[in-house]
Amino acid sequence: MDYARMKFYCDESRCIECDGCSVACAEAHELPVGISRRKVVTINEGIPGKEMSTSIACMHCTDAPCEQVCPVDCFYIREDGIVLHDKEKCIGCGYCLYACPFGAPQFPRDGAFGAKGAMDKCTMCAGGPLETNSEKERHLYGQNRIAEGKVPVCAAMCSTKALLVGDAESVSNVYRARVMARGGKGSNSPYGWDKAYKNQ
Amino acid sequence: MKKSIILFIALLGLASVAYAADSQIWGEMRIQNILGYGQEESWKLGPLFTMLQHKYFAWIFLGVLIGVPAAFFIHYKIIGPKVFPHSEKKYYAFSLYNRIIHQVAAVSFLVIIPTGFIIVFGDFFGGGTFVRMAKNLHGIFTIPFTIVVIPMALMWLKEALFNMDDVKWFMILGGYLSKEKKPILAGKFNAGQKMWYWVAILGGITMILSGAMMYFLDFKMEMLHNLAGMSQIDLLRAAAILHNVMGFIVLALFITHVYMSMFAIKGAVHSIITGYIEEEELKILHSTWYKKLKDQGKF
Repeated sequence: MDYARMKFYCDESRCIECDGCSVACAEAHELPVGISRRKVVTINEGIPGKEMSTSIACMHCTDAPCEQVCPVDCFYIREDGIVLHDKEKCIGCGYCLYACPFGAPQFPRDGAFGAKGAMDKCTMCAGGPLETNSEKERHLYGQNRIAEGKVPVCAAMCSTKALLVGDAESVSNVYRARVMARGGKGSNSPYGWDKAYKNQ
Repeated sequence: MKKSIILFIALLGLASVAYAADSQIWGEMRIQNILGYGQEESWKLGPLFTMLQHKYFAWIFLGVLIGVPAAFFIHYKIIGPKVFPHSEKKYYAFSLYNRIIHQVAAVSFLVIIPTGFIIVFGDFFGGGTFVRMAKNLHGIFTIPFTIVVIPMALMWLKEALFNMDDVKWFMILGGYLSKEKKPILAGKFNAGQKMWYWVAILGGITMILSGAMMYFLDFKMEMLHNLAGMSQIDLLRAAAILHNVMGFIVLALFITHVYMSMFAIKGAVHSIITGYIEEEELKILHSTWYKKLKDQGKF
C-alpha cells in the first residue's frame, strides 16, 4: 500500500491570530499549563504590509533532525511521514529542541530539582507507540484522531481555514489555487516548507 | 576567593532566572529562533549541531574510550610501569585540605564520566528509566565538583604555571617512553599534570556552565545574550556542541590521569590518599622540586 505524505500548511494571508488552533490543541489533548504544542506567532507587528501571523508546531519534517540527534533513539517516523516519539524511552535531554528548526519540542518540569521531564510535541493527532486509543496512549500523547479517520483538531477548528493538514498533494493543490486566486502573488512555496520538507 | 563568590552569584542568578515567566524559546522569541535557522547571517548552529550529533559525537567518544586505554595498554606491555621502593623516606606533600578537595572532585568525576557515557550511548542502553537516572546523577554530581573547583584551582595555581622545565619535559614526553630511571626536570607538578590541571579547571568550569545552560534551558540572561549576540536557542546549541567537544578532551586526560597514578607509576596514587610521596619517586620524576626541598633541608 502506498502511503500519502502528511503535511501541515498555514496560510499567513488567512491567519487572523485567533489562537483557536492552540486552544483547541491544548483542550483536546488535555495539555498541562506551560506546554504549547502549537503556537500562533505574529511577526513585524505594526508594520503595514509586513505584519503576518502564522501557526507553528512540529512540521513532521522529512529526514527529521530530532530523530537524527536523539541519544536514546526514541523517535520513529510513520510511513505517512508523521514523526512520533516514545515518551517512556525519552530522557528529556533537550537535544531534539536544539536540532528542531521550528522550536517544537516542549519540556515539562517535574521532580523536586525541576529536571526536564519527557519531551512533548505535536503528534499530528496520531498518538504514540502504545496501543491505539488505549487509556495510556491518551494520557501520554493525547487523542489519536488519525486512527479514527478524523482531521487533526487544530486544522479542523481553524475558522478561516488558514491551517491545513493532509496528504502533500491535496495541500499543494489548495495552496496553488489560493496563490492563483490572489493573482499569483506571494512566495512560491509555503513558509517553512523548504526547511521541513526540502521542497519535495 | 573573589572569583568563587562571583561564580556562585552567577550560578545563583542562572538558577533564579531559570523559571522566568516569558519563555525565551517557546514564546514570542520562538519565531526569532526559527528565523535564525539556516538563514544568512545566522550562526547555522542548528544544522551544525544536528550533523555533529548525528554522525560524529558518539563515535569520537567511543574512539577516545577505546583508543586512549589501548595506547596505554601497549605502553604498559612494552615499556612497563615505573616502580619505586616505597619503603624509603617519604615526603608529606598534600595536606588534608588538598586531599579532601581532590577526593570530592575525584568522586564527582567517577560518577559524571560513566553517566555521561550512558547518556551518549543511551540507545544502546535502551533509554527509559535507567538512562534518565544516569542523566539526573550526571547533573547532581556536578554540584560537589562545582563547590570544589575554585578552591582546587587556587590551591594548586602556583605549581601549575608553566615554565622552562615543561618544554624539556614535553620533548622527552616526561621520560615515559624509556625504561631508564633518569632524573626528569619538573617541579611539584610536571608538564603533564599541569596540562591536566588546566583542562580539569578551565574545561571543568566550561562543562559546568554549558551543562547548566542545557539543564535550565529556558532562562533569561540579558547580559549573556548581548555578550554572545545569540538567540537563546543558538546559545543552547553552542553549549551542546561545546559540552561534547570539551567532553572528549576532559575524558582523554582523565583516563591519562588515572593510568599514570594507578598503573604507570606504581603506588603513586597513595600520595593523594595519605599525602606522602616516596623519596625516589620525587628524585626521579620531580627533580627540580627535589633539589629545592633538599636545599631547604627537607631530606
